[in-house]
Amino acid sequence: DVARELADDVTFRLKCLVQDGLKFTQHGKRNKFTTSDFDNSLKAKNIEPVYGVVSSEHIPWRLTSGGGRELHFLEDKELEVADLVSQQLPKLPAAPCVKSHWLSIEGVQPAIPQNPAPVSKHLQKQDAVNPASKLAAAHSGDRNNRNIHGRGLKSVETVRVKQLATHELSAEQQLYYKEITEACVGSDEPKRGEALHSLSYDPGLHQMVARLCTFIAEGVRVNVVQRNLALLIYLMRMTKALLDNTTLYLEKYLHELTPSVLTCIVSRQLCLKPDMDNHWALRDFAARLMSQVCRHYNTTTNGLQTRITRVFCKCLNVDKTPLATVYGAVAGLCELGPEVTKALVVPKIRVLSGKLEQCMEGPSAYERNAAIHIRAMLLKSVPPVLKTNRNPPDLLSDYKSEFGYLGQQLQTNVIKLRQCPGSSSSSVVVSGPPTTMRTLGSPTSSPTPTRIMQQGVTGGLAGRAVVLAGKEAVPGVQQQQAGGQKLIIMSSRAPTTVAQGVESVAGLVKPATLPGLEASGLISTTHGVVTPSSVTSPSVLPPGSKFVLVKTEPKDDDYGM
Amino acid sequence: MADTGNPTYASLAPANPTIINGMANVDLPMMPIAESGGIGSNGHLPNINSPASNSNVSDLPSPQTPASDVKPDGYTDMDKSTMIAVIQFLKRGNLKVTEDILRKECGFFEPVDLNGATGALGEEGEVLAAYKTEGNPAEYLDAYKALLAFVEKSLDAYKHEVSGVLYPVLAHMYLELIYNGHRSEAQELLGACAGVQETHHQEDLRNISLVTTRAQMAGQPLLNTLLSGEYTTRMSRDSLAHLKRFLADRSSGPVPRIIQDRLHIDLYDGQPRNRHQVLATQGSITGEAPRSANKSKIYFGLLKEPELQSLINEEEEEDDVDKPKKKKPKKDALQKSKKNDPNAPPSNRIPLPELRDQDKVEKSRIYRDSLRRVALGRDTLPSACFYSFVNAAHNVCSVDICDDSSLLAYGTSESTVIVQSITPAKLKAMKPAEHLTDIDKDSEDVLVRMLEDRSAETQRLLLGHSGAVNSLCISPDRSLLLSAGNDGTIRLWSLQTWTCVVILRGHVYPVWSVQFSPHGYYFVSGGHDRTARLWSTDQHQPLRIFAGHYSDVDVLEFHPNSNYVATGSSDRTVRLWDCSTGNCVRMLTGHKGPVTVLRFSPCGRYLASGSTDCKLLVWDMAAHGTILATLSGHSQTLYTLAFSREGTLLTSGGLDCALKVWDFAKVTEEGREDDVTNTSAPLEDKSLLLTTFTTKQTPILFLHFTRRNVLLAAGPYNG
Repeated sequence: DVARELADDVTFRLKCLVQDGLKFTQHGKRNKFTTSDFDNSLKAKNIEPVYGVVSSEHIPWRLTSGGGRELHFLEDKELEVADLVSQQLPKLPAAPCVKSHWLSIEGVQPAIPQNPAPVSKHLQKQDAVNPASKLAAAHSGDRNNRNIHGRGLKSVETVRVKQLATHELSAEQQLYYKEITEACVGSDEPKRGEALHSLSYDPGLHQMVARLCTFIAEGVRVNVVQRNLALLIYLMRMTKALLDNTTLYLEKYLHELTPSVLTCIVSRQLCLKPDMDNHWALRDFAARLMSQVCRHYNTTTNGLQTRITRVFCKCLNVDKTPLATVYGAVAGLCELGPEVTKALVVPKIRVLSGKLEQCMEGPSAYERNAAIHIRAMLLKSVPPVLKTNRNPPDLLSDYKSEFGYLGQQLQTNVIKLRQCPGSSSSSVVVSGPPTTMRTLGSPTSSPTPTRIMQQGVTGGLAGRAVVLAGKEAVPGVQQQQAGGQKLIIMSSRAPTTVAQGVESVAGLVKPATLPGLEASGLISTTHGVVTPSSVTSPSVLPPGSKFVLVKTEPKDDDYGM
Repeated sequence: MADTGNPTYASLAPANPTIINGMANVDLPMMPIAESGGIGSNGHLPNINSPASNSNVSDLPSPQTPASDVKPDGYTDMDKSTMIAVIQFLKRGNLKVTEDILRKECGFFEPVDLNGATGALGEEGEVLAAYKTEGNPAEYLDAYKALLAFVEKSLDAYKHEVSGVLYPVLAHMYLELIYNGHRSEAQELLGACAGVQETHHQEDLRNISLVTTRAQMAGQPLLNTLLSGEYTTRMSRDSLAHLKRFLADRSSGPVPRIIQDRLHIDLYDGQPRNRHQVLATQGSITGEAPRSANKSKIYFGLLKEPELQSLINEEEEEDDVDKPKKKKPKKDALQKSKKNDPNAPPSNRIPLPELRDQDKVEKSRIYRDSLRRVALGRDTLPSACFYSFVNAAHNVCSVDICDDSSLLAYGTSESTVIVQSITPAKLKAMKPAEHLTDIDKDSEDVLVRMLEDRSAETQRLLLGHSGAVNSLCISPDRSLLLSAGNDGTIRLWSLQTWTCVVILRGHVYPVWSVQFSPHGYYFVSGGHDRTARLWSTDQHQPLRIFAGHYSDVDVLEFHPNSNYVATGSSDRTVRLWDCSTGNCVRMLTGHKGPVTVLRFSPCGRYLASGSTDCKLLVWDMAAHGTILATLSGHSQTLYTLAFSREGTLLTSGGLDCALKVWDFAKVTEEGREDDVTNTSAPLEDKSLLLTTFTTKQTPILFLHFTRRNVLLAAGPYNG
């Protein structure tokens, strides 16, 4: 009974305090009620607030008995003074500063990154999904007008003719379109970087998206016929930039984009010298784009993913398809995620491996090369799936009977994956480049690294990326991982020398990412270069720097740069 | 006061008007006297707490006040009762010395009984005790339902006015039940009937429902307001007659008793209002404003501009070479502005500082800028420049931009004040004293020479507060900066030496808002202690204390002619105070949430106010406190308003990251047409909203039009 009375009273007091605290929230011009507001309202009531009970963890309720009473106490951990002193100081929060931009110029909001997009993504989506909504709005507007005018006057019948050319581009926009398209397919790499950056960050492009998509589609069509690999790569990078733009909703234009991208994945021939040029990278890149498109725009109504997978499957099914197409289809399917891989790729492995075996032993160097690529792709993306779907006793005979030629290598890879505990996560990173791409493409990163990122992501085309010295030092690691890996260091602060980058990677890599990849050799070799102090403290990492594992092909081309 | 011909500042300081205004009904939060370690406690802390004891406080800083102002023999009966109340207060607080001084000064030696019937302590108990009834708790619910049914069945003409009594009756019934210990019945009553109340009463009802025992009833600000019997509803004669007929039918029972004892029904002649009109003025804690509160005349006109002919003529001669044709219209405009506004107060109604040379230069610059400014209107929308504070998410509490748009100051919740120059000019500090003596005082550019060139910076940090900085204001001449903080102090900073010049401790509780008068010298502050105070820059005691609000004074705004101060409060009213008499001359009700921003139009006739209820109300000062327009469109609390320099556009911004531009010219046009009768409904029209500019997660905390009508906005980026 006493407890109830007390509880009542405490509730009442608390509510009063919170009510007062809300005033502080209001004057702090915030939406969120914070603990400091509560402290302030306590202070206003002349009650000493309780300080120091900031804890992110659960506070255990402990009791001790002594002197015939039970006491509640909080456990205070003992802290070592030396630890506190030697600890790295936490990073200072960035100093506030004032930045200015034009919110409106004579009543018109300029489309600059600081302002929200003129037509919000939500509206674009609505527009794409439900074209009738606009019509309805127009109608209701009409009705209102009529009500106002109405009464006695002959209401003017307005027939709404759907305009054929709805996209009128202003002179500036036309100029912009010209500049952008020229820069994107031109030979000036820095300019292309700028153009792609503009495409992926500028709000207010939605009026031109239609034109740009047509440009891409036309370009792909022409260049596939002409087998101009470089231009195809540039066009895919443009597509990527458009997809990365957070203010655009591209669903309306997918009918143009999807075929182009698909072409780049599964086309029979993409370049003039198929045995020399690295068209595999383009296929990989386009496959990643495809999966990005699926992730963003797949709905139950448009069945995008189903349709795309059907295309890929068809390429796999026909026995006579060229190996390049098969490679593209496998890559495309694998990029769509483990589920798709499991359902569609794994059953096909047996057939494929038969063909691969045949090609490997065949006379044509080109076919052998293609077969090697397909094998590498399969060995990279299939084992993680197998690992989760099969039970541990990985018998070689089972694998052989199920997968034929590839069975042995698959089995060794699966066993290797099972052996290293941390590898599941790292393999996810490796097999799912989309995830790494997403982290990189986050809108917070400043313009400079993004450009590097784009170049890096273009697969093996990255020439400027900083390649870890470990490649020569531990070739074993490179060989064992299909496709090979490179560490690329990206930092948002410009002045990071290669040496620093290597240090920081060594510092971070050791605990985190590469435990399973026999990385000790790598680390030990880098230790030689690195001063010990910097290795021990990861905080030397320049803030904002990221490191990513990017798949690279053994052969490097120069198109990226 | 003004009869001395040459008024001095100090003549503003006589104390008596301050004491009296509204004090009888105000319950200031009583600070426990025993407290010693409280916020900013200093020697005279308890003194400041009560408007009553300020009789001696405000006497102090007026050495020049003629002695006749405080003559013992001049006391009327009212003074005497006030005196008794004051002394009772002092006795209760054991302030023996203060009491003695007061008695000596006033020659008032009658014994005062502490347990007198009018004692404030007894008062509260007495008010509560009035709730003691022997009524049957069961009949309350039935009685209230009968009242509901009556209102429901009334003719539409009376229905809405009569329904004004529903909420207060319910609240008082609940409290009566609680007081008499019938807790379950009380909760049942509220549970059954709270749902049918208007939405803007729900929050109050929720607060009331927190109280569940008799002990909790004391000390609740909302309850005290209700208990003081001040809830006002306005009714036409017919509606009241209608209500009275109903009450006569059931002469016993709680409803008639409550309406009789606890409500103040303000009667007016004329047509009963419709629902829209009734709703427009409801919402404050104390119901609607009685007509009597808004009767007095207001001088809302602008003051006469001082002679600037000579300065401007000089410039015109310079300009003559370029455009000799323009000379005439310019002069005409000047002549026109000098014509005396019939609504303007006499220029010596409030002593204002004399113009210095520097001010005259400034005035002429304003004039020159005004000639070059863009005329804004519904067809020519403003250009807006946005200053966003990066790395300060949820941290910036207050922003101010000085009138000539050269300085931007912002205060953070980490108690810092940062002043930033937003023009290329750097912020310079004054030279040290020994160098200052070397400067020739008569030289023309003495002000420039005083400053140290080497100290130029674009940003300056002012440290001193020990709590969030709630409000900032830069003086019109850009030499001083005021800041008000959660620590209960107001600080006056010099923008030449970049140091704190004065710490003004007057408010005991957090100070929410502070503002300079448009003519400089005076400033007002308001805070959690429910008072607004008028200060001057050369005295450390307030000149006036405006007490009357039932809750925190959240925001303040000086009238362009410096004679009036508007205050907005958490009790959801806006009040207008006369600086020279200290009286409340307008009480404006209609907001449904705490008032968060106030702004006078440049012509001085209209007042725009914004609130947490996301509405923007426009009031006409010329009429008796009528709402001219209700502008709704925001989705969250409004924090700032700005009029374009010629008063044709009104811009508003708030937490919802949207800047809205309203067609104010249209508001005023239509307002004039129907000649503001008392019962006209406020204008509410979607077409008044001209456009909306949205930002990316940046709430807009400050808006300001430069002298050439470029809109400046500021807010922290919360991304």
